[in-house]
Amino acid sequence: MKQSIRITLILLAVALLLPLVASTYWVTLLTQVFIFGLLALSADLILGNAGLFSLCHAAFFAVAAYTTAILSVRYGFTSISAIPAGIFAGTILGCIYGLSVRTRGVYFILVTLAMGYIIWGVGYRWTALTGGDSGITNVPAPGIGAFQIENAIQFYYLVLFVVLLVMFAYYRLVNSPFGLALRGIKYGEPRMHSLGFRPARHLYLAFVISSFIASLSGVLYVYLNRFVNPVAASLHNNVEAVLMAIVGGSGTLLGPFIGAAMVLGLRNWVSTFFEMHLAIMGLVFIAVVIWAPGGVIGLLRRIGSNKQG
Amino acid sequence: MPMNSFILQTFNGISYAALLFLLASGFTLTFGLMRIVNMAHGAYYLLGGYIGLAVARTTGNFGLALIAGGMAAALLGFIADKFLIKRAGENHLSQVLITVGLAYVVGDVVLKFWGGDAQKLPIPILMRGVVELPGGIVYPVFRFFLTSIGVLVALLLWLLYRKTQIGAAIRAGVDDREMVSATGINVDRLFVIVSALASFLAGFSGVLGGAFLTVYPGAEWEILVFALVVVIVGGLGSLEGAMIGALIVGLLDAYGRWLVPEMSYFVLFGPMAVLLLFRPRGLFGTANMS
Repeated sequence: MKQSIRITLILLAVALLLPLVASTYWVTLLTQVFIFGLLALSADLILGNAGLFSLCHAAFFAVAAYTTAILSVRYGFTSISAIPAGIFAGTILGCIYGLSVRTRGVYFILVTLAMGYIIWGVGYRWTALTGGDSGITNVPAPGIGAFQIENAIQFYYLVLFVVLLVMFAYYRLVNSPFGLALRGIKYGEPRMHSLGFRPARHLYLAFVISSFIASLSGVLYVYLNRFVNPVAASLHNNVEAVLMAIVGGSGTLLGPFIGAAMVLGLRNWVSTFFEMHLAIMGLVFIAVVIWAPGGVIGLLRRIGSNKQG
Repeated sequence: MPMNSFILQTFNGISYAALLFLLASGFTLTFGLMRIVNMAHGAYYLLGGYIGLAVARTTGNFGLALIAGGMAAALLGFIADKFLIKRAGENHLSQVLITVGLAYVVGDVVLKFWGGDAQKLPIPILMRGVVELPGGIVYPVFRFFLTSIGVLVALLLWLLYRKTQIGAAIRAGVDDREMVSATGINVDRLFVIVSALASFLAGFSGVLGGAFLTVYPGAEWEILVFALVVVIVGGLGSLEGAMIGALIVGLLDAYGRWLVPEMSYFVLFGPMAVLLLFRPRGLFGTANMS
């Protein structure tokens, strides 16, 4: 236990101090890692705890991003209203899509996949609203009154602050009776039923909370890129959100962020010398499932317990 | 003339349904028999399309292209089953990850070989013309050919599934795999046959799809999502379900694109999501699938 606190403090110090030494490239890459880590964490709230494999979390992410972008570009909303509106829109979609918790197993995977595809289709086809293929561009930088985000480092700290806040809340949530009930459902739903729990309600609430986190990361994403297009809602993005969580270690707090760092870092690195980075990603996914089903964290734990034993 | 457009769109829907059925039937049968979610089916389709393209361009023979595309996909499917998908065991999550990973690899390799532009398979001269129907409707011959192939394959599959010993074993395997094993039928060998057939059909449909819609990297995911909708609307593991599902999806898609082009995805996926919420096993699925 003490060791994990030490590791957390070291990581926190590194995250806080890094912009002082790193170039803008690295700061931006790390910002991206935090944002996608947040998306992966949101999908992992229901995957790692409740065992539901969602392929629609990029939909909340994209709806929040589009809402914030459209409101601020077309209607001149300032960040103080565009941000909550984006998060609200994504979460409302989560309330609707949350009905999918009525299904289980492979049906849940396929239903969420189809639901995620609707948002991609709307983004792609409803050009009058979404700008179609090119999306919404020239999104202004976030800022409230005198506090304006002017450069990559300031934005980095904003994202870091949000991520830490969410991680803290997430930690409290999964260690609460609610989180325990979720894991109870994962390992034995009929038993939870007979203990007097209502699994459907717990799962629905978890789904909505996770859509809220995904929306949050979507808003940060649109401010990072200053544009949004249908790629945000694409199947690849949906799949990668979950894959990041699994590569890092599903069901852990740091895993999704480690996974995001690995996936994005690898992609950035590989694409500098080899154009087939998607194939490399594919191989990584296959290798993780076959050799490291617990992800990086699972691997580290295994090494750790081998040393002790 | 709205009536003519309606008939035209109906034909479009049916020909797309034929293509979707070819892809979806394999997916639904492999899932039914072994509970394997194979997201690489789209990649089989893509590979089949490109191999078919290469063969059609060099030999000029469309029939040969169909066979070659199917065989290439069947070979890939066999390798994938033997070395990768087996490793995932019964875990749907691992199956999805492995097969998505495989599809990424195939997609990228194909991109490397054939480039990113959409390419159209040359249609045989015999099928290049149009048919003039009563009422002044003009429709390409090739789409009628595609529809007939779809119907023919559906018929053959149905006969295989319902009227032969192998079909009986497959149906029994879909219902209760362990009981079938206990009666001395080798389910693993049965699965190899079904899986080879499924990936062959996926590659085969890729060649047809390449002539109908063109092939391009990314086509595999678009068609896969549609095929998955077919499978879930019809009910996982049900061949008849895949037929009806393909018709529903093909027609809804055609009418949607025609009447509300901006919302066409919603027209298709919205009702599907609602149907599944209230009837998760689809129209023809059995309750024990999960």
